[in-house]
Amino acid sequence: MIKMIPGGSLNSSTNIKIPLSFIILGLTAFVGAQIILLFNYGELSISQFRTPAVWSGAHVLLLGFAVMVAMGAMYQLVPVAFLTPIWNETFAVIQLVITAIGFGVFSVLLFVNPGSAVYGGACAVIGILFFVFQMFKTLLVKQDKNTMFFFVIGALVALFAAIIGGFMLALHLAGASAGNHQPILFSHIALGAAGWFTLLIFGFSYKLVPMFSLSHGYSESRSKPALLFYGTGLIILIGSFWTSISVINMIGWGLLFTGFLLFALDIREILAKRLRKRLDKPFAFSLFAIPVGLTLHGLALVLSLFHVTNAAVWSWLVFLYVMGWVVLSILGYLYKIVPFLWWTHKYANMIGKEKVPTLKDMINEKRCVYVLSSFIIAVLGITISALAGSGMFVLLFQTVLVVTALIYALSVIKIFFV
Amino acid sequence: MSDLLIARARAALFEVIDPELGINIVDLGLVYDVQVNDDHATIKMTLTTPGCPLHDSIKNGVKSRLMLIDGINHVTVNLVWEPAWTPANMSSRALEKLS
Repeated sequence: MIKMIPGGSLNSSTNIKIPLSFIILGLTAFVGAQIILLFNYGELSISQFRTPAVWSGAHVLLLGFAVMVAMGAMYQLVPVAFLTPIWNETFAVIQLVITAIGFGVFSVLLFVNPGSAVYGGACAVIGILFFVFQMFKTLLVKQDKNTMFFFVIGALVALFAAIIGGFMLALHLAGASAGNHQPILFSHIALGAAGWFTLLIFGFSYKLVPMFSLSHGYSESRSKPALLFYGTGLIILIGSFWTSISVINMIGWGLLFTGFLLFALDIREILAKRLRKRLDKPFAFSLFAIPVGLTLHGLALVLSLFHVTNAAVWSWLVFLYVMGWVVLSILGYLYKIVPFLWWTHKYANMIGKEKVPTLKDMINEKRCVYVLSSFIIAVLGITISALAGSGMFVLLFQTVLVVTALIYALSVIKIFFV
Repeated sequence: MSDLLIARARAALFEVIDPELGINIVDLGLVYDVQVNDDHATIKMTLTTPGCPLHDSIKNGVKSRLMLIDGINHVTVNLVWEPAWTPANMSSRALEKLS
């Protein structure tokens, strides 16, 4: 029995300009977010996250950088991973423009006039709705629905719910009465950071980790339980925000930790069965983010078991989770995704005709190690300094983070000149 | 003539490199069969995983390289998923490079 692809070509890859536009805008926002936080380091020093400046910096980082890059990566990876082309590329360009304007206006208004942020928020919601619609139209034509499919669908549902929650919070800032503020805020953070980003990273890790490590003969046996535990944990955790019943909160965190642990064990098995013994350094950093994320989930569980409700402690835990798990994963994977995109654009038609560089030739691995190490040191430095109450060291490490972000962005842009 | 072209085609495929691994597709064990009838080469090959992002690049690379051979004017690349690729397909050279 031989299975063939009729005609041999899938032609499923997306026009390079779409993912690259998202990624370049995302890199700009990455640097911008760090600069905003640098100028407002004083608020970080006293663990004050709920101020217009920090809201703005956080949303430039999460929406402008992380969500934009995730969208760009999905436009590139969904077609090749699911073997189905993007539903409508013109619609993707329209979505890019609306989303970029929405995120930009929303983040700026959060800083200068939070009461009017809802207008930018409305535009951001439309952009995200367009993206979710595009992805559903793309994915639902797929007949064989694998684990990765369900993770991505779960992530998209969480993104949609997170953005609706965010819009309700923006309505609160505008003075409207739109539900109970605190449970909406906590649900918004959980759905965004844990739901959308984590489920997305889980899903794509099941595809990318075996590919980058050339692993063979692994089982993925824990993938469905991981999704079930993590998804259920998320729902129960959100339920605890609305009911204020601590035992439900503990169960929610327990299930989330279990889901993350099952995912981590699967990745460990994949890596144990890899043929490529020396992994690319940026990819190794993305893998390092997994134990970081697992540890932070464990800490969250412990905090809930001991009824710790200190806002500063939880704020820094969320900060570490975003930076140490979400952002570090993205930074590492971008060093793989961007060279691939550019290589496909520039060299794919030369393969077999003349000598072309390998993907590894397109980046300076040593510099990647320095940059990503510097990122980790800066994030840890900011957290420890703030918890120790040292504003001077927060300023120092936030400055390191700005420089690191700038060098990182330039090192990615440099790939386009290879 | 056909046997000579098959031999040339096989040799040429050593120059088609997987850009992610830096190893040619023959040593990786991706090429299952090479046939040449008149001026038409037919390659039966696989990839290490379905849904590989380099799917089209590698396939087009095979076509481009074989079209450079005198006597080959048409190339068909049939990607198959069964038998599935396994590490046992790899040459000792490829295994050495990976480790």
